[in-house]
Amino acid sequence: MRNDIIRYALTLSVIALLSALLMAFVYGLTKPAIDEARRQDFLIGLNAVLPEYDNSPDLDAIIIDNQSVYVAKKGGAIVGYAAVGHSPKGYGGTVSVIVGALADSTISGVVVVKHTETPGLGDRIITAAFLSIFEGSHISREYAVKADGGHVDQFSGATISPRAVCDAVNTANALLVKGLEYEY
Amino acid sequence: MNIKNFTDGLIKNNAVFKQMLGLCPALAVTTTMLNGIAMGLATTAVLAGSNVVISALKSVIPNKVRIPAYIVVIATLVTMVDLLMNAYLHDLHKVLGLFIPLIVVNCIVLGRAESFASKNGIFASLLDGLGNGIGFTLGLAILAAVREILGSGTILGVSLSTPPIIVFILPPGAFLALGFLMAGYNRLFKGEI
Repeated sequence: MRNDIIRYALTLSVIALLSALLMAFVYGLTKPAIDEARRQDFLIGLNAVLPEYDNSPDLDAIIIDNQSVYVAKKGGAIVGYAAVGHSPKGYGGTVSVIVGALADSTISGVVVVKHTETPGLGDRIITAAFLSIFEGSHISREYAVKADGGHVDQFSGATISPRAVCDAVNTANALLVKGLEYEY
Repeated sequence: MNIKNFTDGLIKNNAVFKQMLGLCPALAVTTTMLNGIAMGLATTAVLAGSNVVISALKSVIPNKVRIPAYIVVIATLVTMVDLLMNAYLHDLHKVLGLFIPLIVVNCIVLGRAESFASKNGIFASLLDGLGNGIGFTLGLAILAAVREILGSGTILGVSLSTPPIIVFILPPGAFLALGFLMAGYNRLFKGEI
């Protein structure tokens, strides 16, 4: 009986050990490719909100309150800033946006990089038609949907998703305001 | 070692419509046909792999600890598929990412391990895994096609310019579509299997 238990434990341990080794091997093998793919995803988001640049904003970041403000430069001169904002207030979970700003503190673009809103209803927050309302306004402005007394359009049947976008944009903007004040 | 090991899983003993296993991913990811097929293929890879490994280890694994041993084997394979997909099929992984780890608890994988691989040879288990996996893919593809056509008015991303019925890409539509498809399956194959 005791021998049996030891045999069970040993068999399971050996299987677990082999599994761990195999997983560690595959993890090491795929890590560079996964990191690069994630970086490309992020750069696509940055490209969408920033004016044309020739540096790597994801590496050229200012750290404020442990969060990054990404700085876009062209020919050595700063052309724009970008920051990520999250809001837990989405209908299906967290909504994450990247907000880009020009050096004159106006928003150059907003993209939603992650969301789990309802397909066909709340997921209209990713459309350019909705997001363009943010463009050109000042980053110190507080955004809210019309239902909350703001000026951002909600959609019929979906107020919560646009509200989450406003919240996420406000978070990113707060960071951008600090980023633009940052002295090198 | 028999071709029936492979063909049984396709239609006669189809994972979705007959065994009714793995319904969680079948309902959750079948919003577009591409997602359905991709999820099916990922599951097929895990199923074939786990069947082979478990069949090879069946004389080593003591009966009393077989379930935890199977789960460790399955979880390892799923993690590997997850990592490889994230690295080399990144766009697809962004859509399916959430559901890939759940293949571990997909009843088909453990079901085939317990009812087939632990009693049969390696090659027969490989065929069984592939057959059941492709049958599962088939089930997902059909369900996803119905939901995509009705719910988005597209098929494989190509617009059919039909008005979308949004409920079909939402969870209730998944249950509705699956129910009707299962009724159709039973009607078609009643008495013959």
